[in-house]
Amino acid sequence: MLLLQQIINSVMLGSVYVTVAVAFTLTIGILNFLNFTIPTLFMLTGMTGWAIAYWGLPMGLSGPLPWPVALVIGILVAVLASLVVERFTFRYLKTRYGDSTEHAIPLVSSLGFLLVLENLVQIGYGNDSQRFPGPDADLTLNIGGLFVRIPQLVSLLVTVAIVVGLTLLLKRSRIGRGLRAIAENPDAANILGVDTARVVPVVFMLTGLLCGLAGALFAVNYGEVSPFMGEDIGTKAIAGMVIGGLGSIWGAVLGGLVVGLLEMMTVHFFGADTVQVVVWGALLLTLIAYPQGLFGHNSIGKGKL
Amino acid sequence: MLEVENLDVTYGRTRAVKSVSLTVGEGEIVTVLGANGAGKTSLLRALQGAVRPSGGRIRFNGRDLTAQSPAARVRDGMVLVPEGRQIFVSMTVEENLLMGAYLRKDASVDRDIASIYERFPNLAERRYASASSLSGGEQQMLAIGRALVSRPRLIMLDEPSLGLSPLFVERLFTLLGDLNKDGIGILLVEQNTTMALDIAARGYVLELGTNVLEDTAEALASNTALTEAYLGGHGETATEEPARLA
Ligand SMILES: Nc1ncnc2c1ncn2[C@@H]1O[C@H](COP(=O)(O)OP(=O)(O)O)[C@@H](O)[C@H]1O
Ligand SMILES: [Mg+2]
Repeated sequence: MLLLQQIINSVMLGSVYVTVAVAFTLTIGILNFLNFTIPTLFMLTGMTGWAIAYWGLPMGLSGPLPWPVALVIGILVAVLASLVVERFTFRYLKTRYGDSTEHAIPLVSSLGFLLVLENLVQIGYGNDSQRFPGPDADLTLNIGGLFVRIPQLVSLLVTVAIVVGLTLLLKRSRIGRGLRAIAENPDAANILGVDTARVVPVVFMLTGLLCGLAGALFAVNYGEVSPFMGEDIGTKAIAGMVIGGLGSIWGAVLGGLVVGLLEMMTVHFFGADTVQVVVWGALLLTLIAYPQGLFGHNSIGKGKL
Repeated sequence: MLEVENLDVTYGRTRAVKSVSLTVGEGEIVTVLGANGAGKTSLLRALQGAVRPSGGRIRFNGRDLTAQSPAARVRDGMVLVPEGRQIFVSMTVEENLLMGAYLRKDASVDRDIASIYERFPNLAERRYASASSLSGGEQQMLAIGRALVSRPRLIMLDEPSLGLSPLFVERLFTLLGDLNKDGIGILLVEQNTTMALDIAARGYVLELGTNVLEDTAEALASNTALTEAYLGGHGETATEEPARLA
């Protein structure tokens, strides 16, 4: 029974990792680019959501707003920030005909954005964790002796909806086919009229949306936000993505859940200090035993989304 | 329909296409011949907008498309079947065809795809299968089918017969004839000189980026000595695989 309870808890925990891991997978799968701003976008939603719920809109435009409104604004901020990052770091069209070292430019500049934004938030709001005035995180359902916290259950459902929605978008819609075409063969996609300059921002918009939703779910679930909240989630999501298999959305889902499970089990048996060792150890072992990840096809940027 | 004036394509210091002029009339079949490295692929890619020409003008149905995006050209009715087919192997056959309709917003896409399936029953059978499971010949048919779904007025093909079995080469040229009967103009780049000159009305011969010969297909075909001088073993690239464009 205790084990079952732990598994339920770990699925709930893993669902936050899943959303962020899917965000990483999207940019890596389509643009072949490890987007380091993802943890920051996640944090931005949490922190702006908190600031608006606690202080109100900047420059005295409003008093404190209800937390759901604040989180929606926080998500919009993440989407906008992601579009700014695309405009100023990715410069996809410029690197397209360049030599391969230019692949480092988006990577490095996204790292730059991570540090700048994180530090700006610290300057603005300080280094402390802040209590997020969300719903009572301890509202609990008791199902035959097993406890499920309602906000976590909602998070899980939202996560499932996100992943299914994204899969349908990629498989069934015109824009989804365009994205997959660019992922596999940008040149052939271009020739057929897929405009890279118009489609790439869609990837960044989706990235911002995913991170924003994940950040909002995190704030509601844990009732606490900080300028550093993205770091831990970000590293674990990357681990989850790699364990699941790069470039595969369902791989990211599975990997995120595996990391959640590993974390719960590790905390249970060995204590919280060893979590990163176990998670990244598992990643290294996976890479040795299954170099392509559990779900992977060794096809980064080859359109296996 | 297509008028190209003094087109230049330059990669760094390589001048791949040097001041090439050509025309394709409404519903005409025109072929461009030349040895490997002559600049045929660069020419077609510049015509489709995949590379920016460093000089010259491209007009299509009276509109200057030189500075337009590939999307604008597809909308205007130009489409390229690229060298090496370049179908999307991560997609199904049907999704590949839908990619040809990427820019279309009208309701008759389904009907056009159905007519592609009528033309290529092999593709109909495999419509939900991965495009990677098709044979080389079927992949070429898919690449052409994908281009046709965009409803082109002019279809440009870059060495479509390369690597096909004699049977498929035969079918390919029959298909090109059929398409032409439907009123579609064709700009055909080929190494299979005999068959290309057989189907085309006129032809151009490129050598190291320069248009060295231009005549009716008949005249070019009877002028074998001259054509072979330009098409046979020129330069070090002649026996290699054609340069893959980035
Ligand atoms: N992307 C590229 N970058 C640099 N040089 C290129 C590129 N593509 C083609 N070339 C060069 O341009 C010339 C013409 O190539 P290409 O257009 O592929 O000729 P063809 O299709 O007739 O074989 C060759 O010398 C080739 O090496
Ligand atoms: Mg070529």
